[in-house]
Order: sequence, then C-alpha cells, then structure tokens
Amino acid sequence: MKKINRTYVMGAVFLALSIFIYIESGNIQFRLVSNEPGPRFFPRIAAIGMALFSILSMIFDGKKEAKEGSKPYLDKKGWIRMGIIMAEALVFCLAMEFIGFWFAAMLGTFMFTWTLKGDKKISIPFAVIFSIVVGCVCYFLFTRGFHIPLPTGTLWKTLGIQLP
Amino acid sequence: MIGALPQAIGIVLQPLNFLLMILCGVIGCILGAIPGLSGGLGITLLLPMTFALSTEVSFVMLVAMFVGGVSGSFIAAVLIGIPGSAASIGTCYDGYPMTKNGQAAKALSIGIMGSFIGNVVSCVVAILCSGAIADVALSLGPWEYFSLCLMAITMVVGLSNGSVYKGLLAAFLGLALSCVGGDMVTSQLRFTFGNTNLYGGINVIVLLMGVFALQQVATAYAKNQMTMPPVDTASLGGIGLKLKDITENMKVIVVSLVIGLFIGFLPGMGSGISNLIAYGQAKKMDKHPEKFGTGYDPGIWATEVSNNAGVGGALIPMISLGIPGDATTVLLLSAMTIKGLTPGPMFIQNNPTLAALIYAIMLICSIAIVVIELLTKKWFPYLLKAPYHYLFSAILVICFMGAFTSTTSMFSVYLVLGFGALGVLMDVFGMPTTPLMLSFILGSKIESYFRMGCSYARGDVTRFVTRPVSLIFLLIAIYSVVGPIITKKIKASRAAKKAE
Repeated sequence: MKKINRTYVMGAVFLALSIFIYIESGNIQFRLVSNEPGPRFFPRIAAIGMALFSILSMIFDGKKEAKEGSKPYLDKKGWIRMGIIMAEALVFCLAMEFIGFWFAAMLGTFMFTWTLKGDKKISIPFAVIFSIVVGCVCYFLFTRGFHIPLPTGTLWKTLGIQLP
Repeated sequence: MIGALPQAIGIVLQPLNFLLMILCGVIGCILGAIPGLSGGLGITLLLPMTFALSTEVSFVMLVAMFVGGVSGSFIAAVLIGIPGSAASIGTCYDGYPMTKNGQAAKALSIGIMGSFIGNVVSCVVAILCSGAIADVALSLGPWEYFSLCLMAITMVVGLSNGSVYKGLLAAFLGLALSCVGGDMVTSQLRFTFGNTNLYGGINVIVLLMGVFALQQVATAYAKNQMTMPPVDTASLGGIGLKLKDITENMKVIVVSLVIGLFIGFLPGMGSGISNLIAYGQAKKMDKHPEKFGTGYDPGIWATEVSNNAGVGGALIPMISLGIPGDATTVLLLSAMTIKGLTPGPMFIQNNPTLAALIYAIMLICSIAIVVIELLTKKWFPYLLKAPYHYLFSAILVICFMGAFTSTTSMFSVYLVLGFGALGVLMDVFGMPTTPLMLSFILGSKIESYFRMGCSYARGDVTRFVTRPVSLIFLLIAIYSVVGPIITKKIKASRAAKKAE
C-alpha cells in the first residue's frame, strides 16, 4: 500500500480551511471607522498566512518527507483506541448535558478508568467507589463550596426533579 | 512608599492577617496546580467577601491568592505534563521530560526556587522603581506593542523544534481562532455563525484543555504509553538543589527575570506570554539548544523565573497607573474599586501604606510559600505513584469541568472536544502547538494595537517602522524567523564543503 505523505495532507487541509476563512470574512459587516483597516483585515491576514505557509510547507517539508519517508503515526489498533477515547469523551459531554455534571462525572470517571487501565486488572468495587468520590467531591465543592453552578441536566428538569 | 514599608510589613505579620495570607496562598497554590483552574478563580470567589472585610484584610487575602496561583501552576506541568494555567505552558517542555527521566524531585526544586526568585526579585524591583518603569510603559504606543507581540510570536516559532513553516502555519491558525467573536474595535461579529456562545470569543482555558490535556491523554492511550514516570524518592528531602545549580544558570535566571518584569509591566500582557518568550530566549542563548525538551535545567529555570517575575511586573502598572498588567490584576483593580479607592497615578501618593502593603504581602507570601512548598515537596511526587488510569480519568473530568466553569456554557465543553481533536491532528502533522497558543493569546492584542496604530497615525502604516523601539522589535521578529533558516543553510553548505 502506498504511504500517505502527511505534510501534503496537512497542506491540503489547511489550504482548504484558509480559503473558507477568506471567503467567510467577506460576510463580516464592514463599517468604515476613521483610517483603520476594519474587522475583515486580520481574518484575511490569517487566511493568507495559512495559505502561504501551507504551500511552503508542502513544497519544502513535503518534499523532504517524500524523500526520507516517515514512520506511521499510529497502527490500525492505535487509531481504533484513539476513536474509543474520543467517543468516550463525547459520551461524557452529552451525559453532562442530559443527566447533569454530578452523575456524568461518576459515569465519566468510571468509563475513563476502565478504558485507560488497558490490559491491567482493576478492582471493580474500588473503581466504582473512586468514581463516586470524584463525582461527589467535584460537584459539591463547586456548587456548595464555591457557589459555582455546574450543569444540572435537562433530564431532571424535564422530570421536575430537583437535585441537591 | 518605601517609608511606609515597615508599617505595611507590621500589618501583614499581625496573627490573623498572617494566617489568612498563608491559607489563601496555599489555596491559590492548589488551584494553580489543578489543570483548568487558577488563582484567578480563587480571587473571583474572594471578591464578594471583600465587601464585609477591611481593606487591609481583603488585600492580604487577594494578593496571597494571586501569588499562590502563579507559584503553584508549575506542579501539574512538572508532574503530569499538563499546564496548570497558561503561565506554565513552557514548564511542560522540560519539567515533564525531567520527571520522565526519574528526576521529579529536581524538577520540582527548580520550579520552587525559580518561582521564589522570580517573585522576590520582581517585588524588590517593583518597590524600588515602579514609578520609573511605569513612565517607560506610558511612553510606548500601540506601534511598539504591536511589534512586541509580533516579536514574541516569531521568537517562539523560530525556536520551536521541526519546521519553521509548520510553526508559522500554527501561529496563523491561532490568529484565525482569536478572530472569532465580537471585533474589539467595532464590535462586529466574526465567524460566530449565529451561535450566541461564540459572541464573546473562545476562552483560553478551553483551548488549553483541548489542545494540551485531552490531546495528551488521547495520544498516550492510542500509543499505549500509559505508564507513570519513576519517582526519585531518595532525593525528595531538603531544598534538592546546590548553590552550583543556581550559579551555573545565573545568566538564564537574570535574562528571564528581565523578560518577566518587562512583559509583566506592559498592559494586557502577563505570565502566559513571558514564560514562552523566556523559554525561547534561553534556548537561543544556550550552547546546547538541542538539549531543550529533554529535561534540561535552564528550560525550567527560564519559564518559572519569568512567569513569577511577571507577578511583580503586573503590579507595577496596576499600582502606578491604574492599568491592569494581566487578567488577574483586573480582578485586583475591581477590589480596589469595591473599597472606594481610585487606582491611578495619584494612588501611591494618596495611599502609600496600602501600596506598600500590596508589595509587602507579595514579598512575605513568596517567602511563606517557598517554605511550605519545600516542606511539603516530598509528598508531591507521590501523585506519580497513583495508577495512571485513576489519576488521568479524574484529570479528564476536572478539565471538562474547568472548561465549563470558565464560561458556564456547555458549548465550551464541546469545544474542548473539538480542540482535543485539533491537537491530535496537529500532532499527526508534526505541527507545534506552542505558536498556536501564543498567537491565540496575543491575537486580539496584535489586532487592536495594529488598528489603533493605524487610526492614531491617520492610516499611516510607516509609523510602525519609523519609531525606533518598534523598528527594533520588528527587526528581531524578522531575524527570529529568517535567522534559523539561514544558519541551517550555512551549516549545511559548510558540511557539504567539508565532505568535499
């Protein structure tokens, strides 16, 4: 299988992003204020800079990579593991919104612990107790101790349940 | 003000004030050490309490929290490689590799002593010459500030490992991200796509948690590198450093002090910027730049001395001019207003004891914190004895919580996820993340100063190169990018000639 030149991919991705930023900056409302370049100027500078250095990187770094080759970043198993941890992070975020931080923190801590343990054996009761402690300490320290609100969860609001 | 210093020290040493100072300093240290939280959060929580407290007690607590917050931020950077706040991003680069090499105790000792030196010296300088330094800050215009910000970014890009083009690409990406939200000059909305959560722009904590914390945990898991570094329990006692360790790094310490103070006293700049510039400068002037990033002493000295020197530096414009040196001093200024004080050029003249008190608290609190940190240092590395899966699962949850509390919006939590993916993508492509962070932090300032400069000069952009200080900064900026490329080419041609 032919190896992918990562620098060429990077250049293409950021070149496309820079074109999008440049076009999108045209939608910024512009009102002339005395002798200053206006709100479109810097986004366009950023877009032009990104495009320029994407191209330069493809020319110089891409050529170097094509010549010398590069190690694969991750193997197939590695990418699957990456997908798992990012998916878990997404589940945690969604849980925070729907069941609130308190329960999400307990669930999230247990979920991350279970995943990050890898091949090691852990005590499930200890992991459960650890998750409950982390969730409760974070939630009550912030909401009761610091009076900083944390997400309470749309589910409980819908059901009309008031959490402590 | 110097005449009022003994009286101010007396106030700080009163038993209740002293105890409150220690308590707030330690809480600040803990908040600074937890990724996503900061001493700024502690000050925000204390502000409502100050209504009921005397001015002296209020400032004892607030300044101690400020000093503790910056002093403690290196702990997480050294032990787990995740910066407690933007002030210790640079500390991760050599602090964590040193821990991985089994020298956590040494890395912590350098961090503790570096923080102490930065705090105390900057405080003494601030007491002696705050008036003169404030005059210098006032004489600089938007042209100089723009050039300085540009210089800071290019210095970091030029000295980052790998390709300069990828570093510059990351810097422009950071600039693009800083454009999201309401425009600073005209309040026009940019790249918000109708989402009200983006009207205020992207919070720096959110970017930091995604690009550093989530990316690091995800990458370590994907690469199956979930091991905790060894702990050198034998060298955990005492200061952990010899006088030789300080004298050998004296040049780095002095230069980093100057950088920290200078960046600190410039309005709007702070420790988040000074630590990266000092790291870049230390690497540039060292005989072995290739050792940076491998657990090299000068890397930690540079970042920790400069970010703490920024604390003293930031207090100078706050006390002398009523201009906040960084985000946290904005909160301290609010406390002054709550107490009916008018910060500004007449503040020292009208309130010499209070001005002296702020510096006295900083000085005594720094000494108290260094003693406490040295006494408790032996317990810090035991964090590394905690199993990886328990420690990092809790850290991930705290990071997401930190992102939520920074904006009280669920949108920020999803953004952490997005920036985590961006961090992974940048790692895949071999793009450095430091230029992205620095450019993001400085982006809005660069834009404001550039547009203010154009406006003040009635559209004449030549003012950026005709003002001498601005020109010097711009020339350094150009050299920072072009210099390493030319040096590389010269070295390559010399090597080719030798081979012939």
